[in-house]
Amino acid sequence: MKTSSAPFGAGWLLRMSPQKQDTLLKLMILTIAAILAFSTRLFSVLQFESVIHEFDPYFNYRTTLFLAEKGFYNFHNWFDDRAWYPLGRIIGGTIYPGLMVTSAAIYNVLNFINITINVRNVCVFLAPLFASFTTVVTYLFTKELKDAGAGLVAASMLAIVPGYISRSVAGSYDNEGIAIFCMLLTYTLWVKAAKTGSLFWSVLCALAYFYMVSSWGGYVFLINLIPLHVLILMFTGRFSHRIYVAYSSVYCIGTILSMQIAFVGFQPVQSSEHMAALGVFGLCQIHAFVDYLRSKLSVEQFNLLFKSLVLISGSVMFGAAAVATAAGKISPWTGRFYSLLDPSYAKNNIPIIASVSEHQPTAWSSFYFDLQLLVFMFPVGLYYCFSKLTDANIFIIIYGVTSIYFSGVMVRLMLVLAPVMCILSGIGVSSVLNTYMKNLDVSTKKDKKQKKSDNTYPLKNEIATGVIMIMTSFLIMYTFHCTWVTSEAYSSPSIVLTARGGDNGKIIFDDFREAYYWLRQNTHYNAKIMSWWDYGYQITAIANRTVLVDNNTWNNTHISRVGQAMASTEDKAYEIMRELDVDYVLVIFGGLTGYSSDDINKFLWMVRIGGSTDRGSHIKEADYYTPQGEFRVDKDGSPILLNCLMYKMCYYRFGSVYTEGGKPTGYDRVRNTEIGNKDFELEVLEEAYTTEHWLVRIYKVKNLENRGI
Amino acid sequence: MSHLLKILALLICISVTNSVYKKKEDSLSDKVSQLTEWNNKKSVIRLTGDKFRELVKTPPKNYSVIVMLTALQSKRQCSVCKQANDEYLILANSWRYSQQFSDRLFFTMVDYDEGPDVFQSLKLNTAPVFMHFPAKGKPKKGDTMDIHRVGFAAEQIARWVQERTDIQVRVFRPPNYSGTLALALLFSLIGGLLYLKRNNLEFLYNKTSWGIGALAIIFAMTSGQMWNHIRGPPLMHKNPQTGQMHYVHASSQGQFIMETYIVMLLNTAVVVGFIMLNEAHTMKSDGRKKRIMALVGLGCVAIFFSLLLSVFRSKYQGYPYSFLFK
Repeated sequence: MKTSSAPFGAGWLLRMSPQKQDTLLKLMILTIAAILAFSTRLFSVLQFESVIHEFDPYFNYRTTLFLAEKGFYNFHNWFDDRAWYPLGRIIGGTIYPGLMVTSAAIYNVLNFINITINVRNVCVFLAPLFASFTTVVTYLFTKELKDAGAGLVAASMLAIVPGYISRSVAGSYDNEGIAIFCMLLTYTLWVKAAKTGSLFWSVLCALAYFYMVSSWGGYVFLINLIPLHVLILMFTGRFSHRIYVAYSSVYCIGTILSMQIAFVGFQPVQSSEHMAALGVFGLCQIHAFVDYLRSKLSVEQFNLLFKSLVLISGSVMFGAAAVATAAGKISPWTGRFYSLLDPSYAKNNIPIIASVSEHQPTAWSSFYFDLQLLVFMFPVGLYYCFSKLTDANIFIIIYGVTSIYFSGVMVRLMLVLAPVMCILSGIGVSSVLNTYMKNLDVSTKKDKKQKKSDNTYPLKNEIATGVIMIMTSFLIMYTFHCTWVTSEAYSSPSIVLTARGGDNGKIIFDDFREAYYWLRQNTHYNAKIMSWWDYGYQITAIANRTVLVDNNTWNNTHISRVGQAMASTEDKAYEIMRELDVDYVLVIFGGLTGYSSDDINKFLWMVRIGGSTDRGSHIKEADYYTPQGEFRVDKDGSPILLNCLMYKMCYYRFGSVYTEGGKPTGYDRVRNTEIGNKDFELEVLEEAYTTEHWLVRIYKVKNLENRGI
Repeated sequence: MSHLLKILALLICISVTNSVYKKKEDSLSDKVSQLTEWNNKKSVIRLTGDKFRELVKTPPKNYSVIVMLTALQSKRQCSVCKQANDEYLILANSWRYSQQFSDRLFFTMVDYDEGPDVFQSLKLNTAPVFMHFPAKGKPKKGDTMDIHRVGFAAEQIARWVQERTDIQVRVFRPPNYSGTLALALLFSLIGGLLYLKRNNLEFLYNKTSWGIGALAIIFAMTSGQMWNHIRGPPLMHKNPQTGQMHYVHASSQGQFIMETYIVMLLNTAVVVGFIMLNEAHTMKSDGRKKRIMALVGLGCVAIFFSLLLSVFRSKYQGYPYSFLFK
């Protein structure tokens, strides 16, 4: 034992057998990667506090709170009367419950073993926790595809890839946070099932698929990808009993399980998105049956039977398609058909899709911003996969190519792309390193051996050193890039705003929560709050008050009614507000601080949506522009705009405030103008509360006047 | 006597008004029959300046006229006019062949080069403009369609026509078979090729060609070709003051087509470098070739990656990292 003289720290490691060393190293690397995945997502908690971000997560948080308190059956039957007053909303049947059930389960287990953590902290830290689970699953998945080395590289890359971090930082409590974990788990188990052909793995895969369906609508991608894999295996002549067993059981069990989710219901057997899976299931049975016949019959008999069968089934199918087209059941040559082939069709022709920022196509710079090194290591990995094709490799190739296509169409689907990018890049990086690490001359002893084997060339060692150095510096740059992107771009909760002050210090605007807590403390429990729909989820979750409309924009006429109230004059709006029992009105105003996404900037949408229904047909967008067609809030602005409710609520008392040095009173710092209507009083409203930086202003709707007066 | 005179005067009066009335009636029926006759030949009636004044502007009328004032000649370079004209034709044809077709409504057009005086009299200096001339009275403010706000899709024009005239025209678009035809052609071409090579279908199982296809899709997507396809940016930008060409869009919000090609090239070069590094190791040849290949691969990777990084830095102001050179 030469190593016994080594210092204490390394001694115990080297005393172990090589297998044990190997396992220990892998475990350590994987643990470090998982911890890294968790901790790199905590920037926002460190910069701000343990707070939930954005809008939708507040709804998820509220439902989780309800589930944790009242139990699953009450949650399932929950009719929510605090939103969409006076209509209400059935929550249980209109959401994917996986996220809430997961965090409620974690909450209950932790509290059962006396770790007293509250629901909000569970929600805030759920996405980072699942990110570290995803890291482990990525390792397992890549190990199935190539080897443990590639798995470790892929896992460490996934831990910090910005494309995934963007949707899983602490506080972004949304479906995608756990859905990526479910998706990769399902893929891992599917590859395992396809490799072994065992019922055990197939059933596990179906269960993972069920979890996926329960947590995210993106499961449709998954239920099309697996059949595509099976189909391509059939075409390449790789179809076998293993695939048959795996796919048949996954499809049957998975479909039945997925139909248990109330929100999904009968879609898996009715809607066109799921038909590919059904078709491939049928094809599997036919393929297996043909194989069976082939094994029993002679070649001539089989050929005759096969030809006649193909002819008959072909003509039957053609006839059925013709009849269905004639009867108008299917219409294959409509725009919808093209939108399947060319996703940009929908973008160009359907404005609702085009207007949402998440639905924009992806520019090359966002690919680079979110993936950096992976942009070109991904094709390298793909090249290695192509050079050694297996059933599992075909799967990852299909996943890679389809997901990059979809993420090119819609920037939001970068999330689905990021894991496969990491996996294939992991394979690529580890293959390059594997090849050239062997060429390094570590000791003179080995050098002699290599010279004997005649596999050498001049400068071999130097080139190997160069390659390893380049790879190392690439990986180091990748970590720097990811950390920089995460801290700069993806760690700001939109509910707390920051700005740089004059002395380069950070100013924090916490006005939203200030206003919501004011509502919670100072208004009647059953008060109804009117605001634009963006803030609905936050008001119900934090202020616990009833809202008229929220981010689940299911009822357009109701939203339109609120838009009409905002766009009308005070007395017209008063009628609408009385009709809807409004007690308080809340507006977001950025004119004092320069916060640009405030209600005045959103106002044109209120006008458009308000004017889009019958009852609001008197509201015309053109009336809110100047004759030159401009939207202005200064003196030249349209008088209808200067006297509508939204304008008055935003600029009430603003005319006497100095905002910027050298500018007159009432200078709006977002629109950069002096407002046009300064001196007015409110008739049907009274100011109830305005937050510190005037970001949120709350008004109370006055009661009807006494009749005697 | 005076009575007689009076009666005579009255008679004359009556006969005069009668004849005037008759003349009016005649001119009205003439106009209608004229318009109908033209309309039977063409769904959109082309008017010159004189015809416009006679048939559209001068009373009496019992019909509404929709006029598209446009400039279709290619020397006017009005591409919007052509699109608007197509939509207008769809609407006019829908009206022409619909069951409610009557002589209450006519679709007409005036080209600037055939009646510039019409544009002057209406004080128009833009095209296309859609105007409605009601059966009675002068056109009001709403009788000019606001195409800046609602666009000029045939459905929008039909809605506006219904608002102004209470005549509902159901727009019938002739189905567009060109996409279907192209698709069928493509499929039959592929099918034909496969049939011709039916004895040698091995190339379908050649993984190299499939691999190259997959890589091509990836390079196209990561360089933002889908963005180009949907947004249609310019090839490059020329600074009007200095005349300098900009190949790279200065902000991360946009991109030029040229820029995406450059990025695609850089990405491909890096990947080719890596593939060469691998091939250098696996191929069976003498050491010299291996060494050259490995060195070239290494150089490719290092240089083109740093180039890619500098292109990205020029888009993202404040990006702190660089490699080899700035």
